[in-house]
Amino acid sequence: MVSRTHYQLKQHHKFEQDDQKYVADLETGDIVEINDVEWEILSRYASQTRHQIVEGLKEEHKLTSIFDGIERLERLGQQGILLSPIVEAAELMTSDRKPKLLVPFHFTKEKSALDYLTNVNRYQFLTHLAEFAELETLAFPEEKKENVQDFDKVQVRNIEDSKNSALVSPWYALDGYDGILLLSQFTTDDLLYYGVPDVPIVHCIEGAQQLQHVLLKTLLTLGAFQSSKDTLVVKASWMKAWLAELGVPVENVQVIPDGIDVVEPINDKALAKQHTAAIFDKPMFTKQPVVGLISGFEPNRGVAWISEFARANPHLAIFVYDAMLVGVRSPNPYHPPENVVIFSADDDETRAILPVFFQALDLVCFPAMPGTPLSVVLEAMASGVSCVAMTKYEIPPEVVGAGIAVEADWDNFGNFHVSMAKLSETINKWLQPSDARAQCEDFAKEVAQRYTRKNAAQTLIHVFEEGFQRRTSDFRTARALFPPIFCRRYEPDTGTLRSSVYRLGTNRYDSLEDALAEVLAEGHTPAEVASVFKHFQRKHSTPVCEITRAGNGFPDNNKETNPAG
Amino acid sequence: MIDFPKTLHQLHFFQEDGVPYAADLDKARVVELSAAMLDILRLAETQTDDAIIETLSASYEADDISEAFERFAELEKEGLLFNRGEDLQRSLETESKWRKLLVVIPGIDVDSFFDIETLSAGTNMALAHMIQHLTQYADLHFTGSRNRKIADGVYEVDIGIEDLVRLRSKIAETYYGILTLHQEHERWLLPLYRYPEFPPILVQNHAPRGHGGHAINSMLRHYAAMRDYDGFTAPSDYVRDFYSQYVWDPSFFNTLPNGVDATLFKPMEKMVAKKEIAAEVGDERIEEVPTVGYLSRVQSEKGASVYLKLAELNPDLIFLIAGPNLGRYASRKLPDNLVYIGFHPRERLPLIYNAFDVYCFMSMSGEETFGLTVLEAMACGVPPVVSNFDGVPSVVADAGLVADAENFDRDIATLVSYPCPVDFSEKINMLLNNTEMWQILSQAARNRAVSFTWDKTANRIVRIFEELHRKKKLVNPNRLLNVFAPTQPVEREAEQGLKYRSLVLSMNERYERCLMRDSVYPLSVEDGVALSILKNHTTREAETILADLVADETEARATLKRVRGLIDGTA
Repeated sequence: MVSRTHYQLKQHHKFEQDDQKYVADLETGDIVEINDVEWEILSRYASQTRHQIVEGLKEEHKLTSIFDGIERLERLGQQGILLSPIVEAAELMTSDRKPKLLVPFHFTKEKSALDYLTNVNRYQFLTHLAEFAELETLAFPEEKKENVQDFDKVQVRNIEDSKNSALVSPWYALDGYDGILLLSQFTTDDLLYYGVPDVPIVHCIEGAQQLQHVLLKTLLTLGAFQSSKDTLVVKASWMKAWLAELGVPVENVQVIPDGIDVVEPINDKALAKQHTAAIFDKPMFTKQPVVGLISGFEPNRGVAWISEFARANPHLAIFVYDAMLVGVRSPNPYHPPENVVIFSADDDETRAILPVFFQALDLVCFPAMPGTPLSVVLEAMASGVSCVAMTKYEIPPEVVGAGIAVEADWDNFGNFHVSMAKLSETINKWLQPSDARAQCEDFAKEVAQRYTRKNAAQTLIHVFEEGFQRRTSDFRTARALFPPIFCRRYEPDTGTLRSSVYRLGTNRYDSLEDALAEVLAEGHTPAEVASVFKHFQRKHSTPVCEITRAGNGFPDNNKETNPAG
Repeated sequence: MIDFPKTLHQLHFFQEDGVPYAADLDKARVVELSAAMLDILRLAETQTDDAIIETLSASYEADDISEAFERFAELEKEGLLFNRGEDLQRSLETESKWRKLLVVIPGIDVDSFFDIETLSAGTNMALAHMIQHLTQYADLHFTGSRNRKIADGVYEVDIGIEDLVRLRSKIAETYYGILTLHQEHERWLLPLYRYPEFPPILVQNHAPRGHGGHAINSMLRHYAAMRDYDGFTAPSDYVRDFYSQYVWDPSFFNTLPNGVDATLFKPMEKMVAKKEIAAEVGDERIEEVPTVGYLSRVQSEKGASVYLKLAELNPDLIFLIAGPNLGRYASRKLPDNLVYIGFHPRERLPLIYNAFDVYCFMSMSGEETFGLTVLEAMACGVPPVVSNFDGVPSVVADAGLVADAENFDRDIATLVSYPCPVDFSEKINMLLNNTEMWQILSQAARNRAVSFTWDKTANRIVRIFEELHRKKKLVNPNRLLNVFAPTQPVEREAEQGLKYRSLVLSMNERYERCLMRDSVYPLSVEDGVALSILKNHTTREAETILADLVADETEARATLKRVRGLIDGTA
């Protein structure tokens, strides 16, 4: 989706004669008859946004008349009359005040759908973000109060204007926001916001322990909706690597790991192991090396893999963090092998005890795949635990220097493959005391402490600023100098028809594919246009980026309005 | 000198940044003025050149005034500021009927439509008849370069082709429709379709093919570019059906049969007619021997070569040729029974037709759509024998005989059919040897011809415009928003890589919820392409694209129908 073309008012003169209103374009010499609404719109066009114009006139005029008027004037602009297209000057988000972000969010719905830790992270994230930005959400009369009012860091803007009841919530996003922060994992709720031009959108997506193709479908869809001002934020580097591997453009994908809470360590691993052993009633935690497994597996596959891993390493005490295999929301009949305990933080109490378990670990192991919560890995590492990353890419940058990688593979349908022998060998070797491990453990503390909630919030603000800068490239200024007419062409020598395109102005037939790409690029991103051509397995000779960014190709007004030309 | 006083256009004077301007509301153009020009315009309607110069000489240098006069001369040439021709305002106010049509036929002198003798091509003649009768139903304003009254309800107005786009709002306010003629090389009309403001545009189409495919291609371009409320006329159902085979929406073609002046073209005493022609050409055989007639240009395309064969095959009959000249056939040795009877003015044509016992029409041209001369002959009670191709048999129906023809699967060098001389010969002899049949067909021909009146043609044009206005009311803008997205295939199709789809939002460009729930709905890429194209392009253009992208035409048509339904249903 690309933004609409923006226009600026040219030098003009409005006048009335014989009860009829007119406006004269002093540059082209055109005179256009206008109605009362268009007269008013022109008075505001130079200084107000589309939103302000509509809001300012809606008391006196029907919404449809106002929109009709704006559309008519902008259609004239397309023809070079009264308005000229602009590439809006890049400007910084105002530095003398906090940026104002719209956070459209069904708090209650989301809270009940996501796991406890994700909710905590989100709450903390917004809390810290509120230090750097003014956050506002929308409340509509038909919504239940609790949907929007259970978070005091986000101001609630009540929408009670019946005049605008015909308009959907993204309309209000046009009203002075510097950005839109989308947090919902129910992506269809938020996709409409991508219809809002000019305002940078940052969409934060959690990894989820599900079949990856479901998540992938969501990400691919989001990617299609994004324009260059928008950013998809993922929580771990492997999410981005995964998208790149699939050939999805990742220019607008940013990795911002959730910040973590680093608690004061008790600095006594033996004591931590004793606590862990006592809590789970598993003496093995004091007798055997303790390995943490932060699971991101799809639950059914996870059960099988954890069992295999445990059986392959009976000498290890394995602490598994898996939000799907334990917890009140999803009671699971899985009974793991004796050397395994499975845990997840489901409330404040279990959350509070989690650091004790992490301090009992000798090593933390995790699959670098979309369902794995990086923040949990980092929290475990923050207490000085090095890691073994099972990854199909490089060792994740987030843990570089604080662990080692084992080659793994996974697909989008939940299947995860790693050489169990190699993994076991690596883990067992790594559990032996060594300088390398000691260095990694020291570095693990530093690495983890880099990922603070404050840093995450600041990074997000920076992403908005970058999006704000990039939005200029979304302003579509190029239109074909010679508009195409798609028409069939009769071949007299064969008596057959074929589809073609005829250019006004040059009065010549032209390449259908190129013209189609050009026309699609008027309303779609280059990636979208490429999707269409890939679907049809067709090619066009002009790169889409050139079509969309061809500069101001507006025709000379006189030529354009001279049909005889 | 510019010859003041002059009637000014409706002007509005204003200043912007100290510069005076005149807004010419009749031409929708702003003209920058000098101070001297502004003062001259204030005096322009009441004073002569000399008086103006004298009045302003105290305020301006002579050069300034002279320069202003020169500039005015240029502007007048461009049609600006000053009324060119008559002041029509009063005439239009008192005489005009409520419906006005703007007639745009560049390249043909408007006066010729009211002086039919100056026209030679059948197409232009038909147009002239139609225009004359159309004045009974609407005022006709011909685009031109001056204002003048041509006849009651017929005016030339100072609107040039180059003014049309600029004046579209005014044209929309003033005119019920725009009537024009399809001319394959014209380029001014295509851009007009891009402006929704224009009233319905009706394009008279006469030649369905020929010219190496140029006519069809031109028609296809217009068909693609036309708005939903524009249309073509086709002179016969045959032509309408002919065009329909190239397009998905044949409703753009409206049959508009020609008419005949049945008071001019009527049966008369045949022997009197023959005698007069015989005397004129000095060939008494015309009075004594049955005659077969041919009235057209004497060219291959019109079947002249076949007609010669016909004469050779029937030495006992007299074959009369009426036309401007014999062309290349003049240098040939013609059969003895072939008599060239010359070119005759229109008022003499009834006499010519009446001198024929049978009228023979054997055009092979791809441009033959109706056969106006056939209808004129029939109105004179002359039974026709025509070739079985294109639109002519549908004009004749059962009031004449239709001879076999070898119709080609496609044009070849402007020819589309070869009339069968043997069958023509048999049909002609059948008619001439059977008096009863001749009399029945003669009466039937007259009866059928009189049912084709120019009044019906003119009335039908108005009805077509009414229909186009109804269609205009049904037009909906496409404000839907959609995207194209790759999507992950299901596991069993994973090998094939990413698939693609389109998604349409439940919110439209105006932030209205046009579909239930805040959501998106999946569409096929084909649907999405049609939806995207239909934002700034016509349904016919989407037809072109789908015809190319979708192999199965039935599915392509279904796609277009679906997407149009979505747009209209959510408008």
